[in-house]
Amino acid sequence: MNDNEPRTLDCGKTVEELSAYLAAGRTPSDPRIETCPECLNALQGLARVSQLFQDLITQDVADLPAPPANWFQDIMTNIHREVRAGRSLPLPHPDTRVDLSVTEGAVLALIRTVGDTVPGLLIGTSHLEGNVEEPGAPVDVSVTASVLWNHPIPDAAHTLRALISDALATHTALNITAINITIEDLHRETTDSDKET
Amino acid sequence: MQYPDRDRLEDVADAILVGRAVDGDTGAFETLIRRHGPLMRAYTARIVGSMADADDVVQDAFHTAWRRLPELRDPAAVRPWLMRIASRLAFSSLRRKPAEVELPDLESALPADTQPENIAVRNAQLRALSAALDTLPEDQRRCWLLREVGELSYDDIAQEMELPTATVRGKLARARASIYAQMEGWR
Repeated sequence: MNDNEPRTLDCGKTVEELSAYLAAGRTPSDPRIETCPECLNALQGLARVSQLFQDLITQDVADLPAPPANWFQDIMTNIHREVRAGRSLPLPHPDTRVDLSVTEGAVLALIRTVGDTVPGLLIGTSHLEGNVEEPGAPVDVSVTASVLWNHPIPDAAHTLRALISDALATHTALNITAINITIEDLHRETTDSDKET
Repeated sequence: MQYPDRDRLEDVADAILVGRAVDGDTGAFETLIRRHGPLMRAYTARIVGSMADADDVVQDAFHTAWRRLPELRDPAAVRPWLMRIASRLAFSSLRRKPAEVELPDLESALPADTQPENIAVRNAQLRALSAALDTLPEDQRRCWLLREVGELSYDDIAQEMELPTATVRGKLARARASIYAQMEGWR
C-alpha cells in the first residue's frame, strides 16, 4: 500500500500533480481538476495534511518536558557576557587629565528605564543620531514605543519627551537637538487582570 | 528590581522586544525566549530526534540569535527567523553526528481526555504522520518543516536552502504527496 510510485487517481491525475497544483495556490485554475470530484477530494486530503501536522506540533509543544535545570540560565549567562556597549560618549570633567565617558548602551538603557515609567508605555528601540563622540555635536534622539490600548497617546508622548530630556541632561553632556517619538504599536494587557490587584 | 517590567514585556509585540534586545535589553530577549522557546524546542526535536540534543541546539540558536539580532531586518518576523537559525543548527548537528541513534517515538503518553476512542484514533493518526515525516528525504523534510512550522515563504526557504524557488515548491509538493499517500489508512 505504501509504494513510492506516484499514486494515480482513477481520473488519471497523480497525487503529485495535485500536490503541485495546491502548492501553486491552485492558480492558474485548472477546470479539469476543479470539476473532478476525485481530484477535489484528494486536494482536500492534501490540504488536511497541513492541519494534521499543526496538530502534531501543537501536541509536541503540549507534551514538551521542562528544559534541563540550567538550560535557561546558561543562555542568559552567555548573553550577559556579550554586552552591547556601542559608542563611547565623552563626559566633561574639571580635571583635564581625567578621561570620563559613558557607553551608548548605558544611555539607551537609561532611556528605556525612564521611558518605561510612563504609565501604559513601553519603549521599543532607541537611537542616538549624530556624532555622539564629539563633545557639543548636535544629537537627535529617536525612540519607538508601544502604548497600552486606551491610553491617550499625546499625553504619553509628552511625558516621555520630558523624561528623556531631563534624564539625558542629568546624566550626559549630549547636545540634544530633537527627540523623535514614534508610537509603533498598541498593546493590550494579556495578564489576568483579576490576579493583578 | 532586576526585570521590573517582565510582566509588561509579555504584553508587547515581538517587534518592540526585538528593538529593545538589539539595544542590549536582556530582559526583552528573555521574554522572546519564553515566547518562542517551546515551539523551537518541539520543532528542533522533530529534526534531531532527541529532546536532549534539541535542547542543546536551541540554546545555541538563542545565543546565535542574540549576537545576530541587529542584522534582522524585519523585527516583527523574529519567529520565522529564529526557526531558520534553529533549523540550520539542527541539520548541521545531524550531519556532525552520524546516525547512531534511531529516531525515537516522540509521542509518549496519551494526553488526558474524556473521549478515549477519539483520542486513540487521533494519536494513531499523529503517529502515522510522524512516521511518514521520518521517511521523507532530508531536503524534503527540511523544506516541509521550514514551511509548516517556521512559516517561511517559498522564497525564504529557497534562499535558506540555496535552491531555486521552483525546486522548493516541487519538494514541498512531493513531501505533501508522500505524506498523504502514507497516511492513506487514516483518511
